[in-house]
Amino acid sequence: MNTGCDHAIEYVYQYLDEEISFFQRSRVQVHLRKCASCTSSYDFERRLKGLINDRGRTEPPPELFDTLRALIDEERRKGEL
Amino acid sequence: MADQADFEGDAMQYAPQLYSAALRMTRNPADAEDVVQETFLKAYRAYDTFTAGTNLKAWLYRILTNTYINKYRKQQRRPSETELGDLQDLYLYKRLGEPSGATQSAEADMLDAFVDEGIIEALESLPENFRMPVLLADVEGFSYKEIAEMLDIPIGTVMSRLHRGRKALQRKLWNLAEAKGLTGTTQ
Repeated sequence: MNTGCDHAIEYVYQYLDEEISFFQRSRVQVHLRKCASCTSSYDFERRLKGLINDRGRTEPPPELFDTLRALIDEERRKGEL
Repeated sequence: MADQADFEGDAMQYAPQLYSAALRMTRNPADAEDVVQETFLKAYRAYDTFTAGTNLKAWLYRILTNTYINKYRKQQRRPSETELGDLQDLYLYKRLGEPSGATQSAEADMLDAFVDEGIIEALESLPENFRMPVLLADVEGFSYKEIAEMLDIPIGTVMSRLHRGRKALQRKLWNLAEAKGLTGTTQ
């Protein structure tokens, strides 16, 4: 662990979220090229973020669309009165 | 200005993800449906204030988030920032990778098995002020700026809650896997 590692770990989320300044990103990239340990932890965090994105959702009940359409139709009719 | 007559055609495609986000927020299917219905009604009524061509998904999520907060937050005790306790960086990675000295692909496979069904439970276990940013960033893919606007908090607060919330999520994923006997450690 050195200051390069500390910096890389501090910025891991901003880096993966693409919410990092050009300067900090370059600094991280230079470090990752020579540090297998941080590269491995970055890969892990990236993969976990992908899994959360893939599996964090739940399908709605099938009747949701009909319910919402009926709601909007009713509101539209109210507006036309 | 958007035309109210186009609302259904424009907005309905987002209903499934709005429902899913509402379910993560309320943790209850009946409440989630209520929040989504109210969101659609409010959005339909206000559709002429939406600027056509701007980000409709973000606009709908802002209404959804506000609806949820107004409806449910007052029922809860005030969220505390210290609830999460001390959190280690790279929690899950360290737990999975370091002790076993596993290879990178072994770690990745382990991660898959590990988090398979735990993600939703782990997300829903987070206190609300951490759950919302993690949900909006990691599941819904919004930027820090968009999340700050939705939750009406500064970007720096979004970042710190996201940071702590993600670490807490990892700790929960580990605890869930441990409870299922997936970690190979003794209880």
